[in-house]
Amino acid sequence: MSDESDVPVSIGHEPTSIGTKRVLGVVPGKPVAGERKDPEEQDLVMVWPHLLVRHAVAALGALFTVLLISVFFDAPLREVANPDVTPNPEKAPWYFAALQELLSHFHPLVAGVLVPGGVIVGLICLPFIDRNPRTAARFRKVAVTAFTIFMVVWILLTIVGFAFRGPNWGWVWPWNEWHGEL
Amino acid sequence: MSANVETSSTVVDRFKDTTVGKAIFRSPRRVTPRDRAAGHWSNFFLHIYPVKVKRKAIEFRYSYYLGIISVVLFGSLIVSGIYLMFFYVPSPGQAYTNIQTLQTDVSLGQYIRNVHRWSAHLMVLAVAAHMAKMFYRGAYKAPREFNWIIGVILLVVTLLLSFTGYLLPWDQLAYWAVTVGSEMSAYVPFVGDRVQELLLGGPIVGSSTLLRFYVLHVAVLPSVLVMLLMIHLWRWRKDSMLDMAWEDGNE
Repeated sequence: MSDESDVPVSIGHEPTSIGTKRVLGVVPGKPVAGERKDPEEQDLVMVWPHLLVRHAVAALGALFTVLLISVFFDAPLREVANPDVTPNPEKAPWYFAALQELLSHFHPLVAGVLVPGGVIVGLICLPFIDRNPRTAARFRKVAVTAFTIFMVVWILLTIVGFAFRGPNWGWVWPWNEWHGEL
Repeated sequence: MSANVETSSTVVDRFKDTTVGKAIFRSPRRVTPRDRAAGHWSNFFLHIYPVKVKRKAIEFRYSYYLGIISVVLFGSLIVSGIYLMFFYVPSPGQAYTNIQTLQTDVSLGQYIRNVHRWSAHLMVLAVAAHMAKMFYRGAYKAPREFNWIIGVILLVVTLLLSFTGYLLPWDQLAYWAVTVGSEMSAYVPFVGDRVQELLLGGPIVGSSTLLRFYVLHVAVLPSVLVMLLMIHLWRWRKDSMLDMAWEDGNE
C-alpha cells in the first residue's frame, strides 16, 4: 500500500458521530471484507427478505389457485347416503385409486395390507437403506431409477383406477364414460 | 451521518422508541446486519424460520416451494373447516341436510365448502409432490434422516385427514368411498375384523362411523398433524445450517 492512501481524509468541518462513536476520518482503500466476489450457493442470505418474499409469493399463488377453482367448480354432492343402494362402480377417493386397482388384480392381503404397509415402512426406512451419501442424481442411479419406476407405476395405477374403470371395475375410456369422482 | 439516521426514521421506528413501543419490541434499531438478525431472532412470527439460509435454498428449483404451499393449504383448510363446523352436525339424520342448507342458505357457504374440498385435494398433491422433490434432491440423507421420517408420517396423516373428511357430507359418494376404503382394513391378518370394527364402530358404515370420523377429522388428526408439523419445521430450521455429508451442488 502506498503511504498516501493510508492518510486519513478529513471529512468536513464538524466532527460526525454515529451513536456514541465519533468519526474522525475515513481511510480510502480496499473493502474490509476483501475483494468483491460472485455469490455462491453456500453463501448465506438473510431469510427476511430473501426467503420470505418468495414464500409470500408462493403462498399467494396457492391461495389464488384455490380461490379460482372454488369460484368456478362446486364440490360434488350426490344423493343422500343409502346403505341399500350400492353404486356401480364403487370408488375409493382418488388417492386410494392405485390400491383399489391393485385390489382387482391381487389378493386383498397383498393389495390392501402388504403393499400399502410395505410402501410406508419402505419410505420410513429409506434413509437407512440408501447409505450412498451423494445427492446429485447422476451419482445415485440405482436409487433414482427405483424410485422413479415406483412413482410412474403408482401414478399410472392411480389414473387407471380413477378414470379408466367403470361398472364392475371393467375398463372404460374416460372420453366415452366418465366415472371419476373427486 | 447522525442526521441521516434520524431522517430515515419511519413511524414504526418512532413508535418503537416510545415507552409502550419499548415494552413490545426488544430488538435494536435496524442499522447493521447484526441488528437485523437480532430483530429476526426476537420476532415470534419469524422464530420458525432460521435467520439465514444458504443462497441455493431460496431458489425455486431447490424446493419448488412445495413445503410452504402445503402449509398454506393446511391453513386454508383450518379456516374454511372452522366455518363449516358452525353449520354441521355429525349425525346421519342431519349431516346431509346441513350440507344442502349450507350450500343454499348460508352466506358464502357453497364457496367455503368448495375451498375446503379443493384445498384438501391440492394438499394431498402438494405433500406427495414435496416428498418426491425431497427424494430427488437427496434431502433424506444424513444428517436429515429424521425429518424425512416425520415427513412420511405427515403424508400418512394428511391422507387420513382427507379420508375421514370424505365421509362427512354423508352422500352416496362419501358413504361408498369410505365403505370401499375401510373394507381393506378388514384384511389385516388376525386383527383385521377388530380394526375395522374399531374404525367403523359397527359392522358397516353407520352413525357411529360418522361420529368417529368427525371427531378424528376435526380434533384428533389436526392436533397430531400440527404437533408433527411443529417438529418438522423446528427440525428444518435446526438442520438448515448443517452440511449434507456430501454436497454435490444444485443439479
